Amino acid sequence: MTADFGVCGLERQNDQKEPAGENGAANTQIEVRNLTKKFGRKLVLDNVSVSIDRGKTTVIIGPSGCGKTVLMKHFIVLQRPTAGEVYFDGQRIDHLSERELNRVRTRFGYLFQEGALFDSMSVAENIMFPIKQHFKGVTWRQVEDVVKAKLAMVGLDGFQNYYPANLSGGQRKRVALARAIALNPEVILYDEPTTGLDPIRSDIINELVLKLERDLGVTSVVVTHDMRSAYKVGDRIIMLHNGRIIADGDADHIRDHPHPTVQQFINGQVSEDDLAVLRMSGAVATSQFLPRDFQQ
Amino acid sequence: MIASLGAKAVQDVVDAGRFGRFTWRAATTSLRCCLVRGTFPLVWNQVNVIGVRSVPVIMITGAFVGMTLAVQAYDQLAGMGLEEHLGVLINIAVVKELGPVLAAVMLAGRVGGALTAELGTMNVTEQIDAVRSMGTDPIRYLVAPRLLACLLLTPILIMYADVMGVIGGALVSFLQLGINSRAYWNFSAAGVELWDVAIGVVKGFFFGGAIATISCYKGFNCKEGAHGVGQACTDAFVASFISILALDFALAVVFKSIYLTFWPIKSLV
Ligand SMILES: Nc1ncnc2c1ncn2[C@@H]1O[C@H](COP(=O)(O)OP(=O)(O)O)[C@@H](O)[C@H]1O
Ligand SMILES: [Mg+2]
Repeated sequence: MTADFGVCGLERQNDQKEPAGENGAANTQIEVRNLTKKFGRKLVLDNVSVSIDRGKTTVIIGPSGCGKTVLMKHFIVLQRPTAGEVYFDGQRIDHLSERELNRVRTRFGYLFQEGALFDSMSVAENIMFPIKQHFKGVTWRQVEDVVKAKLAMVGLDGFQNYYPANLSGGQRKRVALARAIALNPEVILYDEPTTGLDPIRSDIINELVLKLERDLGVTSVVVTHDMRSAYKVGDRIIMLHNGRIIADGDADHIRDHPHPTVQQFINGQVSEDDLAVLRMSGAVATSQFLPRDFQQ
Repeated sequence: MIASLGAKAVQDVVDAGRFGRFTWRAATTSLRCCLVRGTFPLVWNQVNVIGVRSVPVIMITGAFVGMTLAVQAYDQLAGMGLEEHLGVLINIAVVKELGPVLAAVMLAGRVGGALTAELGTMNVTEQIDAVRSMGTDPIRYLVAPRLLACLLLTPILIMYADVMGVIGGALVSFLQLGINSRAYWNFSAAGVELWDVAIGVVKGFFFGGAIATISCYKGFNCKEGAHGVGQACTDAFVASFISILALDFALAVVFKSIYLTFWPIKSLV
């Protein structure tokens, strides 16, 4: 493990950083500096620094439980850092009050990993929610048109009156995406947008991410396990492991990355250590413990 | 051992502080919401969900309280030849203490449980985070309407309980115990003042506020999973129950001193 961290430190140096140090600030939409997050004693993010470029798509990859969601929640301060700072458009936001944050948050769209649809509301009402909260004067007709347009973007027009409970996991995720883009945000944070979708649907979502970036100049951050999707949408790929960034660069950089953990992840291989554990527990369970466990 | 006790004490103080801040924010936000027309539909929605469906159970609670009091108190009073004073005893007890407290306990179970379960589920499925992520204050959108609905409804529901308690007590007294109805009402009218009824109803205001804030707080701070939601509901009910009793005691002391500064003590029998 320690050797691992040593390598990370070196890697960081070699990894490409943004061009032009001077006007870097103008191109940076979101920045976290020295972010550390602990839940109780559990260290989830360990001194992470990253800046997200304006108008680009940044992909964050990493194994389950490595802190991708937690990092993403810090971008809109749904969670407060234990230590470190978060900046949006050059303004520090991690210490703002909830009320001040609400103004900032309307410029974001956040797709939750599990969708987080309001289950007491229909699909249409879910998508209307942010619009009704922030635009008081709009007519019913206008809202309906927006809902229809957003649902059409995710291929679910006609599902307005369904309730989340009656949708499949993938459909729920797409409705959640439609809700996230309801306010035409400048920044969209996607937490595993393609997980649980079939390959065709995944590709449609990838195209949607690209389209939003191309047509509207949206800044996107995509958390994913799906390397196909990462290569396709990512201008830049960051790999998180054990709460630290171990790789940072474009698709080619990641593909040819020398770090074994990165290679294992992108090729979907189990490490020798994990395999050893698996073999041993298998042998032990069948030979000794299993029969006795069942007897009791 | 001592370290863990200390840690627990620190945790309790931290929790109390968080609850205090939550209550403060809920109260100020609700006040501000009273001025905004947009919240009225939300409150109305909650009034229907919370209030209307509680009416039957509240009425049943009230009726049984009155009926039981009549049965229990009769023998003692009859032994002293005072059975016609039964009405005062029942009606004072119902409107001042038992009606409000038992109705509030019933609401803590029925309404508080539903609030905690609903908000707790929203919390563990990240729906509350979703509200925040869209730039809406969850206290304003979720807590304020529920708090306002509870503040509005608890006094009204307590009046229902009072009415049913009075009717239940009277029916048992007349039909089962054979007390002269004229005398029963006369003594009641002489003994029960508007003040007594008002106290009961004002208490409802405090009880409603306590139930709503505690239940919403527990829902907002619910732990992961089905077990977490269940635990939060249990905690919310226990905490609501205790605070209803504590508030009842505190309010009794306060109201009594207010009463005594204006009027002399009155004897009921
Ligand atoms: N609210 C929380 N309380 C305690 N631990 C948490 C909380 N949220 C996340 N964690 C822990 O943080 C780690 C990273 O979680 P997460 O960011 O959700 O992982 P992932 O990379 O799969 O999205 C996990 O080990 C999880 O147990
Ligand atoms: Mg995650």
